[in-house]
Formats: sequence, C-alpha cells, structure tokens
Amino acid sequence: MTSVLEQELSALTSVARRYDARHRRIPRVAWPDGMRMAVNFTADFDAMLLRRLLNETPMQLAKGEFGGRVGIWRLIALFDSHDIKATIFTPGRIRELYPEALRAVHASGHEIADHMWEHRVPRDMQLELDHLQKTGAALASITGRKPVGTRSDHSLSLLRQEGFIYTSHDCADHLPYYLRDTDGENEMLNLPFHYAIDDAMFYSFAWLGSGNAAQRITDTDRVLEMWWEAFLQQYHAGGYLNVCVHPFVSGRAQRIDMLDRLITRMKTMPGVWMPTCESVARHCLAVHP
Amino acid sequence: MPWKDGYTISDERSLSDPDVRWPGDHRCCFSITVDLSVASGPEGITAADFTSPKTQFGLRDGFDRVKDALDRFGLKATFATPAVMARVQAHALRVLIQEGHEIAAEGFRHEDVSAMAREDETERIALTTAVLSDITGRRPDGWFSLPRQGDQFAGGTISPHTMDLLIDAGYEYFGNGLADDIPHHWVTDAATRRSILTMPYYYHYDDQFFLLFPSKGTGLEHADSLFRNWRAEFAAQYRRGRHFHMTLHPYAVGFGHRVRLLETFLAEVSHHTGVWNVPAREVIAHWRHLNPTPTLEPSIWRDYPGSLS
Repeated sequence: MTSVLEQELSALTSVARRYDARHRRIPRVAWPDGMRMAVNFTADFDAMLLRRLLNETPMQLAKGEFGGRVGIWRLIALFDSHDIKATIFTPGRIRELYPEALRAVHASGHEIADHMWEHRVPRDMQLELDHLQKTGAALASITGRKPVGTRSDHSLSLLRQEGFIYTSHDCADHLPYYLRDTDGENEMLNLPFHYAIDDAMFYSFAWLGSGNAAQRITDTDRVLEMWWEAFLQQYHAGGYLNVCVHPFVSGRAQRIDMLDRLITRMKTMPGVWMPTCESVARHCLAVHP
Repeated sequence: MPWKDGYTISDERSLSDPDVRWPGDHRCCFSITVDLSVASGPEGITAADFTSPKTQFGLRDGFDRVKDALDRFGLKATFATPAVMARVQAHALRVLIQEGHEIAAEGFRHEDVSAMAREDETERIALTTAVLSDITGRRPDGWFSLPRQGDQFAGGTISPHTMDLLIDAGYEYFGNGLADDIPHHWVTDAATRRSILTMPYYYHYDDQFFLLFPSKGTGLEHADSLFRNWRAEFAAQYRRGRHFHMTLHPYAVGFGHRVRLLETFLAEVSHHTGVWNVPAREVIAHWRHLNPTPTLEPSIWRDYPGSLS
C-alpha cells in the first residue's frame, strides 16, 4: 500500500517538476530609464468570428459585429487621445471584414498582431501552419510586415519558424516570462494577461460557455476599482500589467469612458511605460535574454 | 461593408458621433422598451407562467409602478407585447395608446422561433399582427424578439427567415438589435439592399439580467449594478449625442427598491436638456428620413480550403 502511494507521490511530483521546468522566470524586469512599470493595452479584435465559429445565434453575431462597426473605432480614438500605443490581436479573416478599421489601427501607430486565422488553431500541423501563414500575409497586407506577436495556442515551434518573438496568453507569472513547449523546446517570451483583467469576464453574457446561473455581468465602477488596485499592486512592485479588452465589449460608450478614467489615473503616476507589446517584448529579449 | 453573408448584417462602420442628428435642438435620444412578456424561457409563455405570483405582480402592481414612474416624468415608451399578452392586457393596452405610448408586437407567445418552419412562422406573424391590430385599432409598426431569462444567450432569438418575413408583413422596424447603439439597417439581401431598420438593444440596460437572475431564489440581485449601468451609459451617450435605450419588465423593476432606483435614474435624465424621448416608431420615422438606405461595400471574402466559408 505504502509503495503504491509512494508511486503516486513521485508521479505527481514529476509532472509538477516537468511543467515547472518549461517556465523560465525573469525575477525582476529592468524597465527602460525612468520607467518603473510597463502597461500593455491589448484588444482582441475578432468581432463575430468566434461567435460564428461556435455556430451561435444571429443576435450573438450582431453583438460581435458591434466591435467592427463601432468598438474598434472608439478604442483607436481613446488610445490616440492618450498617446498610448496599443496592440490589436487580430484574426486574419478580419482583414476581409474590416480592412478600413485595420488601416486606421496601423495609421495610428498601434501594433497589429496575430489572433489566429478564424479564431481556432487546427489540430493538423500542416493546416495550422497554413492558417498562421495566411494570417501573417493578411496582416502584412495592412502593415507592410509580418506580425511578430500572437495571442493564441499556436505551436511554439511553428511560431518560431514564422519569426514570432512573443506570445501573450494566460498568466503563469506577474512578469513577462519564457515558456517552452511540452518537449522542453522552442522557448518563447510570454507577456501574461490575467483573466481578471479581461473585460469579457465582467461584461459578456455566456462568456466561454458559462451558464445563466454563473453570470456575473457587472458595471464599470466595480471593474474600474478592481483594475486600478491590480495596477497599483504592480506599480509598487515595479512590474507589468496587460489589460485585455474586446472591441465588441469595451467599445460600448460607458466602457470607453471607464478606460479613459483608468488611463487618466494611471498617467498621474510617474514612470508608467505604455508601449506596444512588441516594444515590451523587444526590451525584455534584449535586457533579459 | 465589405459585406459577408452569415457574418454581418449591416454596413462596415456606424455613423460617427457628429453625424448622428436628432430633431430640433435635441442632442440625445432616449427610448424605453417595456417588455410585457412573462415568458420564462425559449418555449414562450406557458400556462405555468400565468399561474405564478411573479406574473401576477407584473400584470398588476408592477405594471402600475412602472407606469407611474413613466407618467411622473412624462415619458413615452414602446410596450413589446406578445399576442397572448395583448388578449390578457387588452384594456391596459388601450389606455396606454390613449396616453401616447406605442404598442409593438413580440411574437405569438414570445417563443423561440430559431428552428421553426417558415410557414409556421409566417402564420404566427400574421396572427399576432391581426390580434394586436384588432385590440389597439392600428397595425403594429415594430416587432421585438427580446431575450427571456431562461435563454442561452442574452440577445433574443430569431430564425433565418424572421427579418424577411417581417419585411413582407409590412413591419417598419425590428425592436432589438445589438450591432449598434443607434438605429441601423438590418440587411437581409446585400444585392438588393433589402433591409429593415432596427432599434438598438443591449442587455446591460435590461433589468431582467440583474434582478433575481436567472430566477427567483438564486439571490443574484444586482439592482445597484443595473442602476450604475444606466447612469454611466446615459452619461456617455448624452455627451456623444447618440442614443440611450433601456428595457424594463414590470415584474422585475416594478418592485420596491428597484422602482426607487428607476425613479432616481429617470429624475437624473429629466435634469438634462435636449433629451428626445418618443416611442420607437417615431425614432424610426426620423431615422428613415435621414438614412433611407444602407451603404454596403461588396464582399472581398474568399473561400479557402480548411477554412469556414
């Protein structure tokens, strides 16, 4: 009996150690001169593509369409008014739905990065590569160069092969960290975003398949205070915060106002660096290789 | 657009704030939908819905409280009414019309028509239109498909045929669309620009998702959040000169602390100058005059192997 339990212990311990070994932390990021923390504003601009992929209802599609017709334009205006350079993670297919909006994103100096082709990562590696390349070409047709960042579950090997330098997905650490694939290979920088700092968690009904009794749709005052506290905690730690919004969610007028208040408050604190994800990634890669 | 069938229903970009214009000196439109349906889920109004204290409250006490609140601030609303509710509330509807409110249709018994056969849906639209016309003395101009608390999603349900059938049936507008926060065109055929004007809707301004949602006994009572959503969105839209809409259910917002929050909010609105409050059909008439047709760019979508069409 004891030996069976011992085997369980060692099996679980080795799983934990293997997973841990795939991560390489940066204990403290030395931000550029005069900067004590970095904040990335990121927008996942998939409009109705995920709703379409999941075969949701016409009204769900229309809810997503708001992001392309209204929300993305308001986010561009908001970031521009604060002279913030944001990162817009964009499925390649958006190039065929909202080219004008993407041109405006690029013209304002924001980064356009990969968010899959049609908001899924195919299991078949050949098709996965095809999707990755199609998205790269679609986004390059707007920006003149292939994206270097992604928010996706794309294979790190393919991402490296295609010239990507960072991913921004999930949160195994407050700070940017290095991540390797299940074979312990293909190290890639991750710029973490936490689900508590994601607008859809608080405003989007039935998000990620959540049932009716699990809804926690709320108001901007509450989210503003929560995000401000998260910012302050990292500000005092000299750390990093990635604010994830969706044009179809945060593009609503009261939420643009809330982001405006949040950014205005952040800017009252000295030494807050608000560049694109690419800038943060290049800095981390250079200073903490 | 660029247009894409099955993905988009309207033009590529909404009107910018300066291009949104309201009659006279008005700077912001304020529209109110009162949902008279008592359906709890996709099956629509059932006998069980009519033998519940919650419904009874909504039909009588709650209804009176909501109407009092509207009257106190001189506000006019559109009452979204399923055919069966028109029969049950016939007298109340006639009073509402005399007082300047609008009665619009909301399905036969506010059932989910997503998978319904076209012929069946056609018949239900015709019968609902006839029932409402008979009771109110005029054809309804608007058709609503508002969500119910028991639905999977918070946007309302329609079939692939609904918009086409509403156009065929002579409806002037559809009452609850989510693709914009101002009235907009819902296009059913990009080639011919066949479309129906659509009023904006968003569930964050709909009381039913914050007040004992998804059903009584859950304790999920967030009247304070609902109130803050109304306030923040109205303030933002007023400043932009756009449109604020809210959806009210007498069984929900007509109770106690909730009706006080409603009145506090309406008092705040009434202190703003230039707020244009009229029933939806007048908003739509104004919109049709200013923006008669949608502007669509041809599709640039391509089909690729290994991708969704």
